[in-house]
Amino acid sequence: MANLVAENLSYSYSKRSKPALNKVSVAIKPGTLTALVGPNGAGKSTLLRLLQGQNFPDKGYITIDGKKLRSVRSQVALMPQRSSMNWRFPITVEKLVSLGQVKYSKSKNINSFQIKSLLVNPNSWINKCCELEATMQRVGILKLANRRLDTLSGGQQQRALLAKTLMSPARILLLDEPCASLDPPAKDDFLKIVRQLADIGLSLIVSSHDWGSSLNSYDQVVVLDKTVLASGTPDSIKSKLDDINISSINDNNY
Amino acid sequence: MTFINNWWLIPLIITIFSGILCPAMGTVLITHRRLLQVNLISHCVLPGLALALALGIHPSIGGVISGLLGSVIAESLTNKKSENYEAVMNTILAGMLGFGVLLIPLLGIRIDLEAVLFGDLLTANLSDLLRTFIAFLTFILLITFGYEKVVYVGLDPEGASASGINVSLLNLALSFTTALVIVSSMSAVGVILVIALLSTPTLLGLYKAQSLRIAMMKSSFFGLCISLLGFILSIVFNLSPGPAISVICVASLVIPKLSEYFKTFFKA
Repeated sequence: MANLVAENLSYSYSKRSKPALNKVSVAIKPGTLTALVGPNGAGKSTLLRLLQGQNFPDKGYITIDGKKLRSVRSQVALMPQRSSMNWRFPITVEKLVSLGQVKYSKSKNINSFQIKSLLVNPNSWINKCCELEATMQRVGILKLANRRLDTLSGGQQQRALLAKTLMSPARILLLDEPCASLDPPAKDDFLKIVRQLADIGLSLIVSSHDWGSSLNSYDQVVVLDKTVLASGTPDSIKSKLDDINISSINDNNY
Repeated sequence: MTFINNWWLIPLIITIFSGILCPAMGTVLITHRRLLQVNLISHCVLPGLALALALGIHPSIGGVISGLLGSVIAESLTNKKSENYEAVMNTILAGMLGFGVLLIPLLGIRIDLEAVLFGDLLTANLSDLLRTFIAFLTFILLITFGYEKVVYVGLDPEGASASGINVSLLNLALSFTTALVIVSSMSAVGVILVIALLSTPTLLGLYKAQSLRIAMMKSSFFGLCISLLGFILSIVFNLSPGPAISVICVASLVIPKLSEYFKTFFKA
């Protein structure tokens, strides 16, 4: 189980630029599915990078089960936005997914792959999460295993990325706009998969532009616009909507 | 000393190794979206060559250092999002080439600029052959020990960095190997025309390749065919091998397109 706590995070990309994040605090309990919503430029991707340890906050700190993030970085995996990948690279889907297992970090927790021990149902597909085939089968890309990445549709590429992230030993998964290019059925299917992962004890933070009914699929919602505007259950957030200054969200048709 | 007396043997071996090495290196660079760096490094070797000659060092060492320096300067002046990389690269490229041209008369040295820029394969000697072997060996070592990392960084630089790969160090190793390959190709095709040998076979080799390794092997096969054809034509028709290889590179891209066009035209 992994409790993620981020306290008073502030971050600027350079000394001259305005802060991308200002005093952001979030707490993620094990086995929860959290939506991170906000307009473009709200700092969602920036926050996910800080939580993954790719960038370091100017102020504030991040801990997992009370330990500093630097010492337990392998417990967090980030699924990047589709646009950050080089999809024309000559590689098959199977090879891409297998890269999720690759760890070159010298962190002490590299081998702390505990998904199996988190299982509540031994017959569940996740029992074979560490196996390439089972992972690809669950996200529906097994038949595409030998296809090159540039022959996949946007939705298929997104599922391949999810499979790659699932191959990592991490217990906290950060998914950066994974539903961005999925059609409604694929999106529902995706949310079912992440729900299963949360149910077995993994913590997931999913950044999203979806401000609609699909928020009900999450346990917790964090509304971000440089700082945390609101956080809580989907119902409590909806009731607070009138009080939250989300003009920028509405301007962007969320 | 039959080996030395056969004047065509060293140029032939260099042709074979350059024909295999350049396209393989080009495949890595194209898939890493770093092919523009070849342009940069190839133009940056001149000041190093001139300085090395003036100081009495082997010109190849100066060329590699100078090429690498140009690449490092360009990367350090580029912003984080690489938005200004092309403009910075072209500035450094022009500046270093100009600096090299200025150095030659200032240092009072003699360099056969035509041979450096466009190659003089048929006069290649054992020193050129050794240079080619060193570049070949360096590339083999890079791929043998760093293949997985090269794949990961080319596919997903952020993910590779997050998984603990030192992306900057790998990029530096790629720049160093690229500089070595370019300098080693000086005698075969020259530092300018090497761009064709790094790019064209790669475009052919990448087609439908299922992995970087297969793409490199296919590119090297096409590169070898092109180089050998250029070598033979330059001997038979008394041509300069570097430009001949470059023209064949262009033809190998244009001819299939033209034949496709004519097939469609006559079918219609």
